[in-house]
Amino acid sequence: MVFSSLIFLFRFLPAVLLVYYMVPRRFRNLVLFIFSLGFYAWGEPVYIILMLASILVSYVGGIFIDGFRQAGKMKSAKAALTISSAISLSLLAFFKYAGFAVETVNSLTGAGFAVIRLALPIGISFYTFQTMSYTIDVYRGDAAVQKNLLSFGVYVTMFPQLIAGSIVQYKTIDAQLRSRKETTKQFAEGIHRFMIGLGKKVLLANSVGALWNTIRSMTYSEIPVLTAWIGLAAYTFQIYFDFSAYSDMAIGLGCMFGFRFLENFDYPYIAKSVTEFWHRWHISLGTWFREYVYIPLGGNRVSRCRHVRNILIVWLLTGIWHGASWNFLIWGVYYGALLVAEKFIFGKYLEKLPAALRHIYCMSFVMIGWNLFVFDDLGQGIGFLKSLFGVYEQRFLNRETVYLLYNNVVLLILCIFGSTRIPRQIGERLFAKVKGKGIILSVIQNIFYIGIFLLSVAWLVDATFNPFLYFRF
Amino acid sequence: MESKMKRWQTGVTVVVFCLMVFGFTVATLVNPTTEFSETENRVLAGRPAVEAEAIWNGDFEADYEEYLTDQFVRRDQWIGLKTSVERLLLKRESKDIYFAKDDYLIEKHTGSFTTGTAQRNIAAQTEFVQQYSEQFATGHISVLIAPNAVDILQDKLPPFAESGDGCDYLGQIAEHLPDGVWLDAASVLREHTDEELYYRTDHHWKTLAAFYVYQAWAAKQGYSIPELTDYEIQTVTDQFEGTVQSKLGIQTAGDTIELFLPIRGPAYTVYKESTSKTENSLYDYTALDTKDKYAVYFGGNEPFMQIKTEVKNGRKILVIKDSYANCFIPFMLGEFEEIDVLDLRYTNQKLSGLIAEGGYTEILILYNASGFAEDMSISKLTN
Repeated sequence: MVFSSLIFLFRFLPAVLLVYYMVPRRFRNLVLFIFSLGFYAWGEPVYIILMLASILVSYVGGIFIDGFRQAGKMKSAKAALTISSAISLSLLAFFKYAGFAVETVNSLTGAGFAVIRLALPIGISFYTFQTMSYTIDVYRGDAAVQKNLLSFGVYVTMFPQLIAGSIVQYKTIDAQLRSRKETTKQFAEGIHRFMIGLGKKVLLANSVGALWNTIRSMTYSEIPVLTAWIGLAAYTFQIYFDFSAYSDMAIGLGCMFGFRFLENFDYPYIAKSVTEFWHRWHISLGTWFREYVYIPLGGNRVSRCRHVRNILIVWLLTGIWHGASWNFLIWGVYYGALLVAEKFIFGKYLEKLPAALRHIYCMSFVMIGWNLFVFDDLGQGIGFLKSLFGVYEQRFLNRETVYLLYNNVVLLILCIFGSTRIPRQIGERLFAKVKGKGIILSVIQNIFYIGIFLLSVAWLVDATFNPFLYFRF
Repeated sequence: MESKMKRWQTGVTVVVFCLMVFGFTVATLVNPTTEFSETENRVLAGRPAVEAEAIWNGDFEADYEEYLTDQFVRRDQWIGLKTSVERLLLKRESKDIYFAKDDYLIEKHTGSFTTGTAQRNIAAQTEFVQQYSEQFATGHISVLIAPNAVDILQDKLPPFAESGDGCDYLGQIAEHLPDGVWLDAASVLREHTDEELYYRTDHHWKTLAAFYVYQAWAAKQGYSIPELTDYEIQTVTDQFEGTVQSKLGIQTAGDTIELFLPIRGPAYTVYKESTSKTENSLYDYTALDTKDKYAVYFGGNEPFMQIKTEVKNGRKILVIKDSYANCFIPFMLGEFEEIDVLDLRYTNQKLSGLIAEGGYTEILILYNASGFAEDMSISKLTN
């Protein structure tokens, strides 16, 4: 199930809220667990078994690791960690990468191994990383063991963050799983956050995604350069508003049930360097790789050569985490190379440039990055890249370009503003202005959020373009 | 700024939210199921049966979501809200429909003509025409595929908008046909683009457009060519809100429907297979009181009809058609003893059998371009 659907808004959400708040506190984790399983099973019940198996592996793993630690047997603890991680990773590898691996071997060697085509279990990359963070943290002593299978199950399956992140580290919500107090205030915050996310996904991401789809389906050797750039800009906004909207909705829904999840996006498109961009984009993934791969490899406290190697390994993995195909791998290495270059070659010169130029520099590379990211088919990706730079000697614009531009100009302006801090600042200024006149503020606020909600419902009832972008993650 | 919310403000937020979520939930639960949407002119999805197997393979879930969307309380108004906001945001199209000049809503038909079905339909029709070209001499089989509004009303389209590729498709159809079969309706209509050729709110052509094309066909066939003055033109409604408008859920100016009643026409009877009844009129005036006012012609789409006239010239024609023909057929009355009208979409009658036994002297295939390209039943031509 996805948040941006009528079934979620008008069947699942009211049901889970009602039951959750009607039962005594001690049953609330159970309610969350059961509903989360239903949420996950909706539309694809088969893979629920896989998820439960994955939970069990890490749960048992955690108990063993902790037991060995307490007994001072660190070697055995390490072995337990290795085994449970290996099982988790094998499941991920089998379901996500087996087909890709076999295809690659076939194409390199000419062998004819049968290609396994499995539907990727939704969210497997997210929950595998979560369960692994738990066992590793227990091993390191950063988190206490969770002996309550239900609490651990809730941590992994909790529907707000289950299918598209953020990747919640166990240690950050350990205490909340054991005891948390839901408040009206937090609930209200959650509502606002959820509404923002819903609007970003349904009104902005889907609309601008439809524009991208129109341009994507054109013939790349013929589309004018400007059309290609409008298309890439549309995708750039789609992936941001879609992905950050899921995080907004996750955080908002978490609040409604008394959880605090960490922020996952921090206005990535205002970044002035690629390094900064990645501090603002999908923060929970970056944190995961830093804590569980980069730092264990030695991070930056090693020779420059090894440091570069570490960065490249992390980015290679980041790339294929996003999907089992070459374009994601190349996309990861592209960022690895850019980050290495910023760190060791031109970072110091970059800082001397005016802010506007640094911003243009950053966004250009980010957009080219999305060009690599969005096409599974490398040939298509290169074709589109060529049209961006006029390699086909196309025209700069045509009638259609003008038509697409004026039809979407308001949408694109909304997207540009929406990816900056400006809307938030306007809100804050408004708040300062009407201070003391709480009623006016409350009315304005509620009209704003109700408006977003009603419009989102209208877009959903119309059942137009509403894609789920993360089925490859 | 949220953190500064006062206690009562948070309360208001929570209450309003719960009212909306629970309110719509209850409303959608108690809302009675509508089987057929008059505005959209289609059968809506019903509540799926709960079956273990369907749940396990995901069919139930998909069906239930479709049901919820289709049966959502006040569905039309929600869609209208979306369309209105899109117009506010300066969009000149929504759901593949242009908001064109003079209140015209014009479907773009993006992608309709490049599908496999579109190509297969050309092949099936070509095969059909070749198969019967011995039995029916040159001029006795006609193919008339009318262009859609987007390809004719180019002056009405929003600035810089592309017209469709329907005319290219019509060109392909014509290319495949033997000489003397194709009637180029698009060229005829282009002569009259300053007149009312298409409905503003509906996907059909208006009776006037059908008239001009009939004139051209009659000229080609050597029939008598009617003039506008041969008809009493009766405007039977100005409240017609057609299918294109319905897709958008908005209210725009209603269309008029004109019937062209011949001042001196032959007497005739109409036998309709669906009701097994014989009537004395092509027109069903009761349809004017319903949403689907275009059904004033024949009372809507009939699988098979036989029109017998008092004309005695031995000519008997089979018309294989979609609803574009409904306002065209009335012009044919004076030229045939019998007009049989077959709608392949609603019949399983074997066409070869019908032709073998029908004793026809001519055949006319009449569709609209996008309808022809998308129609899955065209393959029945070769049955």
